[in-house]
Amino acid sequence: MNGQAWLLLFEGAWTTLWISATAIAIGVVLGLAIALVRMAKVPFVDQLLVLYISLARATPLVTFVLFLFLSAPTFGINMNRNTAAIVAMTLNTAAFNAEIWRAAFLSFSREQKEAALACGMTSGVFFRRIMLPQMITTSLPGLVNEMSFLIKGSPAIAVIGIVDLTRVTNRIAAVTYDPLPPILAAALLYMLIISALLKLQAMAEKKANRLAM
Amino acid sequence: MSEHTHASDVPAVSIKKMSKSFGDIEVLRDIDLVVNKGEVVSVLGSSGSGKSTMLRCINWLEEPDRGTIHIAGQRIGVNEHAGRKMTGKELATVRAKTGMVFQGFNLWPHLSVIQNVMEAPIYVKGMPKEQARAIAIELLEKVGLADKHNAFPFTLSGGQKQRVAIARALAMSPEVILFDEPTSALDPERVGEVLTVMKNLSAEGYTMIVVTHEMEFARAVSDQVVFLEKGLIIEKAPPAQFFTNPKTERVRKFLEISA
Amino acid sequence: MTEWSILWDAREVFSNGLIATVQLFVLSTLCAFVLGCALVYQLEHGNRLSRALRLLINLMRTLPFLILAYLLYYGLPPLGLRLSAWSAGLLALIVYHAAYFAEILRGSRLVMPEGYVEAAKAHGFTPLRLYLRIILPTLVIKTRPLLGNQLIIALKDTAFLTIITVQELTAAANSVQSTYFIPTQAFVVVIVLYWLISICLELALKRAARFGAKRGFDYV
Repeated sequence: MNGQAWLLLFEGAWTTLWISATAIAIGVVLGLAIALVRMAKVPFVDQLLVLYISLARATPLVTFVLFLFLSAPTFGINMNRNTAAIVAMTLNTAAFNAEIWRAAFLSFSREQKEAALACGMTSGVFFRRIMLPQMITTSLPGLVNEMSFLIKGSPAIAVIGIVDLTRVTNRIAAVTYDPLPPILAAALLYMLIISALLKLQAMAEKKANRLAM
Repeated sequence: MSEHTHASDVPAVSIKKMSKSFGDIEVLRDIDLVVNKGEVVSVLGSSGSGKSTMLRCINWLEEPDRGTIHIAGQRIGVNEHAGRKMTGKELATVRAKTGMVFQGFNLWPHLSVIQNVMEAPIYVKGMPKEQARAIAIELLEKVGLADKHNAFPFTLSGGQKQRVAIARALAMSPEVILFDEPTSALDPERVGEVLTVMKNLSAEGYTMIVVTHEMEFARAVSDQVVFLEKGLIIEKAPPAQFFTNPKTERVRKFLEISA
Repeated sequence: MTEWSILWDAREVFSNGLIATVQLFVLSTLCAFVLGCALVYQLEHGNRLSRALRLLINLMRTLPFLILAYLLYYGLPPLGLRLSAWSAGLLALIVYHAAYFAEILRGSRLVMPEGYVEAAKAHGFTPLRLYLRIILPTLVIKTRPLLGNQLIIALKDTAFLTIITVQELTAAANSVQSTYFIPTQAFVVVIVLYWLISICLELALKRAARFGAKRGFDYV
């Protein structure tokens, strides 16, 4: 592989990274919002969210990206490829993140809440200062795990013609007639990215375990 | 055992005709109790007698069904002025006047020792950080943990955790501190260090209500001893009288078994 | 509605896609599970081969499924090994998910109390028999929720194969939509089909939980 091929490969990696990162950033916050709304147990809205989560978790990302990209125009919504990819990945990851946040909510100890109320904290201060920081710590391993899942799922966006780190190997091979090196190089880059996330997850787990003691 | 005079003051806690049921079971019935400033009241009784529930009603962690509770003259739970239940915010301002020490410590695990103590003064009272820190340093010194400021709760022994929890309660300069079986979850050799801190507090004139099984502590430190049985206060007396000359057969039995 | 009647006319495309997806899923997860169990057995030995396998399992955990499918479908032919899209896809599914099954079982093996194993050894079990009769059943019962999760991931990974031209369920939706220009309806049908399959899987897993519960294994 020559310099030109590596350059293309890095461009592909960059596409994978920025689209995934955008989806992750929105998806983490959206997941928290969904979990909060679900804790309020509003009738109808709650059932709707349960349905969304169940569907989003069962639908392959490839299928969902294609669906969004192809059917949005029939509803009069014009999305470019990147937007469709980000929306699809966000809606996918938010469903998983909502479940992670919710588990942290449900497992939060009643005693700590009592200690906060007994000091005269309002529910708002309690949530912001006591509950949320701990929920972040306990959820982080799960959230990071979901991030690496999302990146492993990100090649799905190739299906609507985005040249990501996987698809770019086709481009390079079309010129060099030798597909093996670019595929191995792309695999190496994925390995680096996801290993970093797994490392981060291990660190987050350590911190979360400390909190649980 | 306090040297303070308090005859003319409003009582720190005043409970009138308080009752509470969980479903069909009446756990407290017509509780009347006045705790003056500087007094230590020990609450005794077998498990299931309603001791903890009584304590938890005082700061409205449990909502009593009937009766009134005043903390330093202010009614808790009901906004008498507006004639309705208190909002969460109103309740919080009254609760800020009480401190509570739990059986299971309930330290916040994500905060260091000193942060646990500083948290409520800063975020409830709006105290400047530096002032809160100065108070926390002083209080941690008082409970004998001056060297543990930056430790996290999981590294502490039970006795140390409970002493941090006491400092946390003191940091709000409460009108009354509620102790809910503060030594029941401790290893036997750790009980002494917590009781010593509590004895010192009573000598300093803090108002305390202590639900406990520690007879020796109740005898040595309290101004009043209250005995609960099936949700009723069946005996209320100074320790000298309570321990040497109880009025009821039930308390006599209880003391015999506990001795 | 004419769109829905078009869907009915195209039912054969959908059913062929569904059959292909289910075939891929069932075949690959069965083989992957057996392979995963075999990997964990090999890991019991702690020799050079098992260290190499550990490395391979960890490698798979850092790769997207599609890149492995690419490697087998596009990367091997120049080396003289030409697989059809279907067999390359199936093989990729098996290898990839075997690594994940193995990792799940290995994680549980690490925290398994040695007492069971010692009791079996004391009764004179051979290593293979010990693994198959004592260790593996315990691991599988304990990790059921994680294994179930992995099954659903495997189901969804079959959809990636549409990118290497396997004619499975997602490809069916794509072909119907490009022929008749009804993307919404075509994809709603397949999304509901994926959803139904995963609901069936989850129900089956819940039933399987009873097996463990009866034996005192506790689940959340």
